[in-house]
Amino acid sequence: MFGFLRQVGDYTRDAVDAARYLTQGLAVTFDHMKRRPITVQYPYEKLIPSERYRGRIHFELDKCIACEVCVRVCPINLPVVDWVMNKETRKKQLRNYSIDFGVCIFCGNCVEYCPTNCLSMTEEYELASFDRHSLNFDSVALGRLPTNVTTDASVTPLRELAYLPRGEMDPHGVAADRRRAGRLPSEVAAEWAAPAGGEEVRP
Amino acid sequence: MSAISTSLPAGVQGLLSLATTATPAAGIDLRAGFSALLQGQGLSAGLAHALWLPLPMLLVLTAAVVGVLVTVWLERKISAAMQQRIGPEYAGALGILQPMADGLKLLVKEDIIPARADSLLFTLGPVLVLVPVILSWLIVPFGQNLLISNVGVGIFLWIALSSIQPIGLLMSGYASNNKYSLLGGLRAAAQSISYEIPLALAVLAVVMMSNSLSTVDIVQQQSGAGMLSWNIFRQPVGFLIFWICVIAECERAPFDLPEAEEELVAGYQTEYTGMKFALFYLGSYINLVLSGLLVAVLYLGGWTSPVPVEWLAGLLGQSIDAPAVQLVTASIGIVMTVLKAYLLVFFAVLLRWTTPRVRIDQLLDFGWKFLLPVALANLLVTAALKLSFPAVFGG
Amino acid sequence: MTIAVSTQLICFLALSATLLIGALGVVLLPNIVYAAFLLGGVFLSMAGLYLLLNASFVAAAQVLIYVGAVNVLILFAIMLVNKREPLRDMPGLLLRRLLSAAVCAGLLALLLRVALTMPWPTPGPASIGEGAVVRIAEHFFSDYLLPFELASVLLLMAMIGAIVLARRDVMNVDVVTGEPADQGLLEKARTPLLLSKDNPRP
Repeated sequence: MFGFLRQVGDYTRDAVDAARYLTQGLAVTFDHMKRRPITVQYPYEKLIPSERYRGRIHFELDKCIACEVCVRVCPINLPVVDWVMNKETRKKQLRNYSIDFGVCIFCGNCVEYCPTNCLSMTEEYELASFDRHSLNFDSVALGRLPTNVTTDASVTPLRELAYLPRGEMDPHGVAADRRRAGRLPSEVAAEWAAPAGGEEVRP
Repeated sequence: MSAISTSLPAGVQGLLSLATTATPAAGIDLRAGFSALLQGQGLSAGLAHALWLPLPMLLVLTAAVVGVLVTVWLERKISAAMQQRIGPEYAGALGILQPMADGLKLLVKEDIIPARADSLLFTLGPVLVLVPVILSWLIVPFGQNLLISNVGVGIFLWIALSSIQPIGLLMSGYASNNKYSLLGGLRAAAQSISYEIPLALAVLAVVMMSNSLSTVDIVQQQSGAGMLSWNIFRQPVGFLIFWICVIAECERAPFDLPEAEEELVAGYQTEYTGMKFALFYLGSYINLVLSGLLVAVLYLGGWTSPVPVEWLAGLLGQSIDAPAVQLVTASIGIVMTVLKAYLLVFFAVLLRWTTPRVRIDQLLDFGWKFLLPVALANLLVTAALKLSFPAVFGG
Repeated sequence: MTIAVSTQLICFLALSATLLIGALGVVLLPNIVYAAFLLGGVFLSMAGLYLLLNASFVAAAQVLIYVGAVNVLILFAIMLVNKREPLRDMPGLLLRRLLSAAVCAGLLALLLRVALTMPWPTPGPASIGEGAVVRIAEHFFSDYLLPFELASVLLLMAMIGAIVLARRDVMNVDVVTGEPADQGLLEKARTPLLLSKDNPRP
């Protein structure tokens, strides 16, 4: 008898708990209704990529010495370095260079290890195409200057959450000259460059 | 009608009959007015009646479809607001034409019948799902005389009609010749008949208090002291049971197992496209609005306003029988019913976008082992209260 | 003939036609699923006939019980078994068919004879319309009390029987190893998912 009563009591408590949790959930969703949408209306508004964004890779043909370091550090040996040995100058002569962005994982190793800095990361991320073969960029396509969100007149650039002033949640309507929260990289660098004790700091 | 017909020209009268269709308490009858108007033009009484008959039906059908459009828009906008999105925006102001655009798209889509499907049953299934739902609008009162037919079995007719729906679901599930469709249809039928029983028991408690199955009588029994006489205060448990069961009958989240996309693709509507799919869609949303209306009728006092209109009229020094006052009363009645229904629709939307889907065994456990005993206990308690306090709980 | 009477006549004829054709289809169609759906149609048209007789409560009850419960359960059973093929030839099928046809014809003749020889009181008692609910309830709780209660006892027995049939025996020990069996799947008991001090790993 007592066991049965306890069972009934447990069941009732479970039911009440379930109802309470449900109400809590409803309260959460109801509370969200009064918050502003955080939607970025994509083709018209775009988020500004962060400084170290790893987008499409930019390549400068003239700087390249065809050393193939990029191929060796690439996880899948993706860059195709097409060079011939010039008998007269006894130097490698680069004929073409291509990276297939349908395969690239944008890890940035090639950019990191390139001895002549002819590779660099851009903030371009709109690589969609109708044909996967058109993602295979040759040296000409790689050498194009990247599009920029902030300079495109048809796009409203919006700052990402980490780049907003303190306390701001919504990038809409935040003035461009308002400082973001925290120290800027240049300030951090300046602090390192002028150390208190006059010691050598890490480059 | 006589009061209005003496004071207004005939053309305005016709408009009035469409706009308000009837007015309360004093027994103004627009049907009689319409008949009298046509007979004045030299038509026979039978013909005038036959001409009248389709008018309220068409009106309610239009109301149901417009209600669906509004509900779809509300659902999308409210769910967007809950998730801090914007929702439909470009089709019309605030995306208000989006449901229309959706409907148009479905209308012009190709109507595919799968090769190995049973084409007859495949076509008949969605019809059998939609027709009972629309028929149930027969008994929804928007005012004293403002319903298509005040049949004596009222709310029981709705319960009976809603039990036809699972046949349509089983039919479309079977005819699609697809295991997911069949499973979805079976689930829908099991869910539907499981939740019908606590639903009927909750309705029975209300019916016991009002001594009538008729929806008009049920509302009138709640119309004594404004908001305080609503059934929700006398039947809080019944209200919750009814609301849960109604959501389960509508197959909405958290009870949308028949269409659980992670398990069954889209359940019984997997193979459907174009207008046949739209019929399912329409049926589910009409059912949702209808459920909101019926909860409003059964538990929230139907067309009565929180503060009695008679009391307000007395405060303003107006006679309740004056034509203008009656028009206002009827309009308030319609607005109140729709407002209450849409408040409940809002809660359904809130619930849908908050709760995760239950499992099938949890669903059946909940229906049979929780709701059914609680509904029975609720019925028993209501009967006891009715015997002990006949003044409050209906004599 | 007024519009109302002619409408009623047309409705009656249409409903009777659907009822007869549907009933014949239920009996004669080889596809069992079609037969079951047609049975639903037969029940529905019967409810329509009740409506024509001004017995709206009986009509609604007919729809609720026969269409909503009985027919759905029949369909449910058929679809769970899900045999799509029609009846296969079995020995003596023709003989069986002839026999059942003879029995049905005899029954039909009997019913026809009763229907034709019975002195029907026309017109019958006036329809009580909306008062039917009260009248039915009064009959249930006075002169038909015993059949009413017996029916409920029968239903209870059927329910208990179904539970007894459907309930699997719970085994406490694993038959093979002799260890205590995990009831988690069998009985939906709450097996704790997270280990804690209260329920260490067994």
